[in-house]
Amino acid sequence: MIWVETIINGVLYGGLYGLLGVGLALAVGVMRVVNLSHGEFIVLSAFLGVSLVRVVPWLHPLALLLPVAVIAFCLGFGLQAVLINRVVTRPDPFAGILLTFGVAVVMRNLMVEIYGADPRHLQAGHLAQASAGFGGLHVGVLPLLILALSVALFTALQLVLTRTRFGRIVRATADHRDVVRLMGVNPGRVYNLVMGLSLALASVAGMLLAIRASFTPYSGVERLLVAFEVVVLGGLGTFWGAMLGGITLGVAELVGLRLDPNAGPLYAHLLFLVGVLLRPNGLFRART
Amino acid sequence: MTQIRWRALQAVAGLGTRRPGRVYRWSIVAVCVLAVIVAPWVIGEGAQRFLSEAMLMLAMAQMWNLLAGYAGLVSMGQQVFVGLGAYGLFFASISLKVAPFWVLPLAPLLCAAVAAIVALFMFRLREAYFAIGTWVFSEVVSLLISKTERLGGERGVGLPTARLVDPRWLEPLTFWISAAIAVASVFGTYALLRSRVGLGLMTVRDNDVAAASIGVDVWRNRFIAFVIAAAGCGLAGAVSFTATLYVAPGFAFDPNWVVAMMIIVIIGGIGTLEGPILGVIIYFALRETLTVVFGLSAGWYLIGLGMVAIAAILFEPDGLWPLVRGRLGGDWLSVRREPPTPPRIAAATAAAAGVRSSPHGLGATPGDR
Amino acid sequence: MTLLEVQALDAFYGDFQALFGVTLRVEAGETVALIGANGAGKTTFLKCLVGLIGSRRGEIRFAGEPIAAAPAERISRLGLSLVPEGRLLFPSLTVEENLMMGGLSRRPGAWSLARVYELFPVLGERRRQWPDQLSGGQQHMVAIGRALMSNPKLLLCDEISLGLAPLVVDQIYESLGHIRAEGASIVLVEQDVKRAAGAADRVYCLLKGRVTLHGQARGLGLEQLSRAYFGT
Repeated sequence: MIWVETIINGVLYGGLYGLLGVGLALAVGVMRVVNLSHGEFIVLSAFLGVSLVRVVPWLHPLALLLPVAVIAFCLGFGLQAVLINRVVTRPDPFAGILLTFGVAVVMRNLMVEIYGADPRHLQAGHLAQASAGFGGLHVGVLPLLILALSVALFTALQLVLTRTRFGRIVRATADHRDVVRLMGVNPGRVYNLVMGLSLALASVAGMLLAIRASFTPYSGVERLLVAFEVVVLGGLGTFWGAMLGGITLGVAELVGLRLDPNAGPLYAHLLFLVGVLLRPNGLFRART
Repeated sequence: MTQIRWRALQAVAGLGTRRPGRVYRWSIVAVCVLAVIVAPWVIGEGAQRFLSEAMLMLAMAQMWNLLAGYAGLVSMGQQVFVGLGAYGLFFASISLKVAPFWVLPLAPLLCAAVAAIVALFMFRLREAYFAIGTWVFSEVVSLLISKTERLGGERGVGLPTARLVDPRWLEPLTFWISAAIAVASVFGTYALLRSRVGLGLMTVRDNDVAAASIGVDVWRNRFIAFVIAAAGCGLAGAVSFTATLYVAPGFAFDPNWVVAMMIIVIIGGIGTLEGPILGVIIYFALRETLTVVFGLSAGWYLIGLGMVAIAAILFEPDGLWPLVRGRLGGDWLSVRREPPTPPRIAAATAAAAGVRSSPHGLGATPGDR
Repeated sequence: MTLLEVQALDAFYGDFQALFGVTLRVEAGETVALIGANGAGKTTFLKCLVGLIGSRRGEIRFAGEPIAAAPAERISRLGLSLVPEGRLLFPSLTVEENLMMGGLSRRPGAWSLARVYELFPVLGERRRQWPDQLSGGQQHMVAIGRALMSNPKLLLCDEISLGLAPLVVDQIYESLGHIRAEGASIVLVEQDVKRAAGAADRVYCLLKGRVTLHGQARGLGLEQLSRAYFGT
């Protein structure tokens, strides 16, 4: 019974991991830039959550998801417009990763200087302790809510990309950034919006993760690695693959922790390395 | 103006006017070697330690430059070899009960062996995926060592066997070895790039499809570069932690190792051998200015360095070396080869064939684009 | 009325000059063929017109407006549309979505999704399919349809017969007649000299980035053409 619960919790946790990765996958898929500061933005949004809670303590942290996401969207838009768009057309494929790595170094240390290095936590009140029972199984209400929210966001993203005019423009820009200019589209502006969206999704994941586990300014590295593993395991550029990749990693991590309480993310990392070895194109490769 | 003054200076010093003779060159080398040998008696212990650190950092940066600037491999997990080198040395020295310097060669050997195995699957990942894949590998090794009590776990281990070395010689030995490693990293990379492997790497960097079509074994050349870079970082890491007499996973596998390598190479000039030398000088000058003169914390100096690196990528993607190069009378360590035909004939045939010469030697032939 | 007027246009790739003082004009309602061997600069010329080559010098006026320094995003909204070489369809968009991308500028005019399907009925049948499921000729039709969706005053066609069976080429050229009937001017870039001269009112020939010949399509002799084409 305890194993069933572990696996169910892994799945619930994994939905969140999928959300960590999907923003990264979106940016990679559209502009082929792996944003190495993705993890730092995830942590930053958690800190923003902590700060906002202090300003409006009577509001539940979950209600702060929207304002934090809006801030993250603006930050992503600005990051892309001010910095990344300047290197995105260079033939050198490394300019983007080196640049965002520089951004990550700056952000990480700024957060240390501003917030200090102590572990933080986002309090979710009695909701964090509530649990629901199904035939002897105990599952937390909050994890269930989080998974539902992840799935809803995934579905929304999928619909936006496949059904709307904006989604068409994004996909077309990903295919041929020069050809869309012939249709009056400014690819740089599309990139700004996509990076904003990418970090808005990341910020939701960052807030939810901060409710479940403590974080420090140094957590960005771990968040980035998880996000990246989700993207690679899921098969590059497929969103539901990212969801499945996240769930696989979540289950691996919780089963690992059950076997060995101080393993940390070791088993998730090992699973990733084995996955790369066996299936370098991802576990869930889809069409196109 | 400055240009003219510099020319005059060169003429006075006998530089630039004609190729320096062999005697002249060797006497410079001899002076440098002598300076390094006597340095420990001339400069203080603090300066020695500082210079050792800078020289080891230069070696690591040069290895990262070999990977990113020549082999097209951006490794964000290079710190794994720094840590493995240190742990290899500590473990061997403690279990064999010999002075750490005697088992120093084991550190690069261990790292080379690990790199050879890791390359087998990491090379399935390209570009950014390789970068983060190596990083994940580094985290895994760090976590595994943290969980191994025999290696001290998270607390780390000291180096009791350092007592087997006469304490008066410990600092000077570290200094000399660091200097030797720094020199070896620069000239070793130079020799490697002048070899067949280096030629292969550079053709791949300039155009991998063309290189593969003329039979350059891309995988093999990258493999060699990766293994050598691992060995170099392992050696430098081992010496670095010998100097501190203590190693723990948090320090040994700290991503800040690769942050430093990356920032040095980017500021100095990626894909040149002189770039990391210039980069190390700027890196440490900035660090000392910010932390000692202005009294800033380590965090603020990393923020400053990160911003400098961002500015370099945006505005001087080739680093600062190309700007300095002209004032110092051209490349010191050019790995470019002269064409086999005399230049005038080559130029004439190139013009006749409609090939324009580009600064990189490989002229692109623009088609009907 | 002159629709497009190009004066002494130079273009560069880095320090390589691809075009030397090209002068060309297209009247409203006219079809102009631009011929030349591989590497003559035909595609470069079209890219200069639509703004995809930033490094250009000289004067380009389109419908009275100077566009030599304008970005591609703005030029496209003025009614200059390109069918690019190699089609360059969007592989992650369906046929219909590809066409809708062309209609983003929302310029008013005769062409709409329904009219494009009327011109190429096979596209209507395959509107929900991916471009890579289509034959080469059908993909050309999508590329032409996508360009038409912006209701261009001037349609630039780059090598629209390349790699197609003669029968399919006939079909494509036939559609050009309908497009002209709706009032659009056309610039045809071709390597097939006879085919181009047959469909055009006037012909320009490029050789190594320079105009070596221009004149009425009907009046040109074969010998004169081949001299301009090969530079012998």
